[in-house]
Amino acid sequence: MNKKKVTIAVSTLTLLAVVWIGFVTFSPNQENPGMVRFLSLSEIQTVKENERIRLGGLVYPGSILISEKNQLECNFQLKQGEHSIPVLFTGTRPDLFKDDAEVIVEGNYIDGAFVADQLQTKCASRFEGELRNEASYNTESI
Amino acid sequence: MTPVLGSISLSLALGVAFISILLFSLFLKKSDYRFFIAGWRATVVVSALTILATLILLYELLLSNFDISYVAHYTSLETPTFYKITALWAGQSGSLLFWLFILSVYTLIVLYQYRNSYSKLMPWIIIVLVFVQIFFLILVNIVENPFMPTDADFVVINGNGLNPLLQNLTMAIHPPTLYLGYVGFTIPFAFAIAALVTKETGSVWIRSIRRWTLIAWLFQSGGIILGGWWAYQELGWGGYWAWDPVENASFMPWLTGTAFLHSIIIQEKKGLLKTWNMVLILVTFTLCIFGTFLTRSGVMSSVHAFAVSNLGPIFIVFIVIILVICIYLIISRLPYLKSEKRIESFTSRESGFLLNNVIFITICFAVFWGTIFPVLSEAVSGDKITVGAPFFNRVNIPIGLMLLFFTGVGPLLAWRRTSKDAFIRNFSIPIISGIAIFIVCLIFGIRNTTLISFPLTAFVFTAILIEFQRGINSRVTRFDESFLKALQTLIARNRSRYGGYIAHLGIVFMFIGFSGQAFDTELEFALKKGDSKIFDGYSFELVSIDPVERPNHIAWIAGINVWNLEKHLVTTLYPEKRVYFHLDPNPEKRQPHSELDIHTTIYKDIYSIFSGVDIEKQIAYLKIMINRLVYWVWFGGYVLIIGTMISLWPAKEY
Repeated sequence: MNKKKVTIAVSTLTLLAVVWIGFVTFSPNQENPGMVRFLSLSEIQTVKENERIRLGGLVYPGSILISEKNQLECNFQLKQGEHSIPVLFTGTRPDLFKDDAEVIVEGNYIDGAFVADQLQTKCASRFEGELRNEASYNTESI
Repeated sequence: MTPVLGSISLSLALGVAFISILLFSLFLKKSDYRFFIAGWRATVVVSALTILATLILLYELLLSNFDISYVAHYTSLETPTFYKITALWAGQSGSLLFWLFILSVYTLIVLYQYRNSYSKLMPWIIIVLVFVQIFFLILVNIVENPFMPTDADFVVINGNGLNPLLQNLTMAIHPPTLYLGYVGFTIPFAFAIAALVTKETGSVWIRSIRRWTLIAWLFQSGGIILGGWWAYQELGWGGYWAWDPVENASFMPWLTGTAFLHSIIIQEKKGLLKTWNMVLILVTFTLCIFGTFLTRSGVMSSVHAFAVSNLGPIFIVFIVIILVICIYLIISRLPYLKSEKRIESFTSRESGFLLNNVIFITICFAVFWGTIFPVLSEAVSGDKITVGAPFFNRVNIPIGLMLLFFTGVGPLLAWRRTSKDAFIRNFSIPIISGIAIFIVCLIFGIRNTTLISFPLTAFVFTAILIEFQRGINSRVTRFDESFLKALQTLIARNRSRYGGYIAHLGIVFMFIGFSGQAFDTELEFALKKGDSKIFDGYSFELVSIDPVERPNHIAWIAGINVWNLEKHLVTTLYPEKRVYFHLDPNPEKRQPHSELDIHTTIYKDIYSIFSGVDIEKQIAYLKIMINRLVYWVWFGGYVLIIGTMISLWPAKEY
């Protein structure tokens, strides 16, 4: 087996690999999309029908409403600068989900609201945050 | 006083590091051995100073000296002593210092271990190591100094404390293990650069480079597996691998490192693929630095990422410098990297190794592509596209299965050429066992990827057993040894080979575990105390919701009886909903945390998460997952580690 044959074999394999990766990258798979557009709220009108998208933003303080009937159901306003959008999420909420938390939601945009099936929080703010001035706390309230 | 000492030792170390490089350049120019000795000693001093600085930071963490910003940010008075120690690598600057600390320890080992060997390579090996040290010294001196004083206009009485998610034994071991891996690849990198510069591309240094790569690889594998294990036990999404950018960052050098460990064998035995091996080890190190960059720069959002920082540009400069040097050296040294022989046949072990390399590199590229795609797509089309686990799974499952297949085929092929008879002799039993499992899967109605993966694991498993059996048989007949004695001496006398096969067995077990995912199920539901819910062959009965107060948190513990459909009690699960720092006057600072509970068997895990609680109505919101065969991932991990350790164990002289 000469050098040429080895080169041909290896390049064929490499080519196959590249084609395969390209195919998975650019062939949409509706049931299980691995690639999702990350949009800002001002771009939300560009959403195609049934397209899954991601949004990021802050939880509007005081907007979290948890359903009386089912604690897993929750509504909140996602704020992004001037814009905001109501989000409906059903499922287990991450531990760090609260007012002003930075969140990423994934799901569908339906009639002006966002129905999310994934909710992630970013960054444990307490631990990267400012130091506390304990001297100024009223110790009796602790 | 001591924090100043820490800062001073770091700046001194940087200064001495430059002196050390200078001394080595003088040695290379004037060939005066005294310069070498001086440079060698200067390098010892650099390493000792960084180790001293690390110990000082550790001391301050233990003392809770909140005048140091790092100590105030990552520990508090309530942090248990053990986690004060682990806080050393919990934050950005501390973890950079820790990187440097490990590099310094490795450097000292290299300095003393090869004091009297590799006289031509050593100056260059040390120069490369010091060069990398300088980069990290610049980072901890200028950009992210861990000894920075606290920036607050008040006396800090108590620090912020360590994230409860990180207060976990695995989480304490996972980062240092991974660091030992990442940093460990610096040594083979230094060997490779030294070999290229001095044109000593022969085989003298292969044993050392292979050993060091294997050590780094062992820690890298261990670190990755521990990370998965921690995520599974602690994060509560029921999985162990999310294809998160930072996970990918640790996986990529592992892949190229694995490829290197295999292809270096052909260089050792056949003098083939020299250029390729050089490229692999250089790429592996570059990927290690790239991984450190991804974690720290804030380019990618990820659960692992540290806070956004200005480290990015410096890392990019460093990576570019490394790449330029590597590419220049490889191209200019091509004539010295010619193969001594060539591959003779497709059905040879050589071509098996070659194929293995192509597959590893393909997986690495696919992972790299998916990881940087969001950045690329935003630059090209302006659309920010996020790439999730489904992409990585879809791309990698077929390639991974191919890799598994060749894990079985490779060792059965003979060097140079496999004869037709040998082919039939070696492959018939593994193929038959594969087909048998395929038929069993068909009968059980399996119609997903496991219809391919289970037969493949059977094929590879039998192939490895046959390899052992052949070795044992020949010893039993030749030396009249007992079966166990033969097995023992067989492994003892060919540690690297049979250790490798044991590591392959570990991979097979892990693939069984990965396959189990195809059958996973999950359900989220609300359950009132006393009620039960049937799901996937089990009945979950909520028996109790008890509040418990502990030193730094309050917990509600759900007691869930799990019954099987024959009405036998399988287990009782106690997942917890905790609120940390519940006494903190500022409600913003209180942090909820779900502590899950898992019932593990070799067939399946019953995984329970306590999502929420309604105390008045006595309702618990639960998420139950039935995860199949996960146990095998961890078991395979152990086997992989043990096999690698056997390979590494120094051989007795016979």
